[in-house]
Amino acid sequence: MTDQPQPLHMDFHLLDRQIVDRAGLMVGNVDDIELDVGDDGVPYVVALLSGQEALGLRMGGRIGSLLARVARRLRQADEPPLRIPYDMVARVGTDVVLSVHRELLPEPGLERWLRENLIGHIPGARDEGQ
Amino acid sequence: MKKLLAVTLGILTAIGGFVDIGDLVANSEAGARFGMRLAWVVLVGVVGICVYAEMCGRVAAFSGRAVFDLVRERLGPRIALLNLAGSYLVTLLTLCAEIGGVALAVELASGIGYLWWVPLVALAVWWVLWRVRFETMERIFGLLGLALVVFVVTFLQLGPDWAATRAELTAGPPPGESWATYGFFAVALFAAAMTPYEVFFFSSGGVEEKWTRQDLVTERLNVFAGFPLGGLLSLAIMGSAALVYLPQGATVDSLGQTALPVALALGKVGLIVVILGFFAATFGAALETGLSAGYTVAQYFGWQWGKLVAPRQAARFHTVMIVSILIGVAGLLTKADPVQITEYSLVFSALALPLTYLPILIVANDRDYLGEHVNGRFANALGLIYLVLIIIAAVAAVPLMVITGVGQ
Repeated sequence: MTDQPQPLHMDFHLLDRQIVDRAGLMVGNVDDIELDVGDDGVPYVVALLSGQEALGLRMGGRIGSLLARVARRLRQADEPPLRIPYDMVARVGTDVVLSVHRELLPEPGLERWLRENLIGHIPGARDEGQ
Repeated sequence: MKKLLAVTLGILTAIGGFVDIGDLVANSEAGARFGMRLAWVVLVGVVGICVYAEMCGRVAAFSGRAVFDLVRERLGPRIALLNLAGSYLVTLLTLCAEIGGVALAVELASGIGYLWWVPLVALAVWWVLWRVRFETMERIFGLLGLALVVFVVTFLQLGPDWAATRAELTAGPPPGESWATYGFFAVALFAAAMTPYEVFFFSSGGVEEKWTRQDLVTERLNVFAGFPLGGLLSLAIMGSAALVYLPQGATVDSLGQTALPVALALGKVGLIVVILGFFAATFGAALETGLSAGYTVAQYFGWQWGKLVAPRQAARFHTVMIVSILIGVAGLLTKADPVQITEYSLVFSALALPLTYLPILIVANDRDYLGEHVNGRFANALGLIYLVLIIIAAVAAVPLMVITGVGQ
């Protein structure tokens, strides 16, 4: 069972909150939420959506759709935006903590592209705790 | 003993870290033209940064989150995006001014024009951000910044007329200056003391240093001793300029003129020390603004940020810093005068102050993050008084800039 505030207010406790993995590394923000309605008619959270595309679509308007369009350009066609099943959420506190390491999740396209084409080529990019 | 050392070091770092190119320029310009008539603004500004930095430190210690990381959660992605745009642009302009300041300090030391130094300085700033440990970086530049204590010695050496100085403290603008220029410099000094990047850096730095509730006492000591002592340096810069330039009716419009009182009072050794102080203060501030540029963008989008992980694990964060430094360099290479860039950065800082400080007040009252450690009545009363001052400064900034032609 997930450790979370009772009752959980989606807009107050979940949306826009930082997601970290079990080691404390940052995964992204909760940019949108996927809901479903159970047999008892009560809606429940199925998954957290993260990434600029999800954010842009949620924000809407001119700026939102621009953000979503740019984000869609930046990812490869075959990789979907980051979707984290709610089963992976271990705890909802001042941040949303996952029960897995972030390596298990698809990596955001922009992060990978910048690492492979720019940051990773600079000497010292691997040194931790700098 | 070890704890005592940590506290002392923190305070010393805060003293040196308080002064940056904005304080150097605004305080000596104001001193040269108004004597100590605007000294009260520095005091007001120092109390303001103390009040709000304490809130930021508390939020970082109890929630493990930087304040601006929380802004989007409470204000929503749209308003937070507007906030991000304003904060980032002002931080970028300040970064540009700080890099220019470092280059001017090197010019004073070498005699070779500052433009030649801009690319080298930018490379050095980036290298420190890339390689040097967070605490090491903070301490080296904070401690070297203490060289600016030389202004206190200068002020005393120049032999101020204390009775005349005391009379100036409560006087309006001197003959030849209008209330508009008086107001313009008041806004600039206030913005220099409360420059937005200081709180971005302070709150994110607290998370980088992994503050917990045990660190709260240390953190408060740093704030309440370090910043006021840093403010004292600002006043000494103002006072030294006042003693040298006010009787001549001369104005200050270069960093060399800011240093001149020290050379007059203490000779060559003083000049060497003050140039070292300029270098450390502006270099340290360039690091802080560079990091702050990365922090604000990465925290809005939820990207991995910080110097605790390897750069390849925070590629987007490091890219934002690199791009920001490059934009700063491009701005300086247009041959725009760094002192003028500083003046504009202060005006736009003043304009952005409400964007920075209102969210801090909101988050510091949120029980969801702070539990019972939310603001008490006293902190809220001070916070609200300062919010009013901040809004007045923000509203007045651009009209005063236009009326006075940037303080001319």
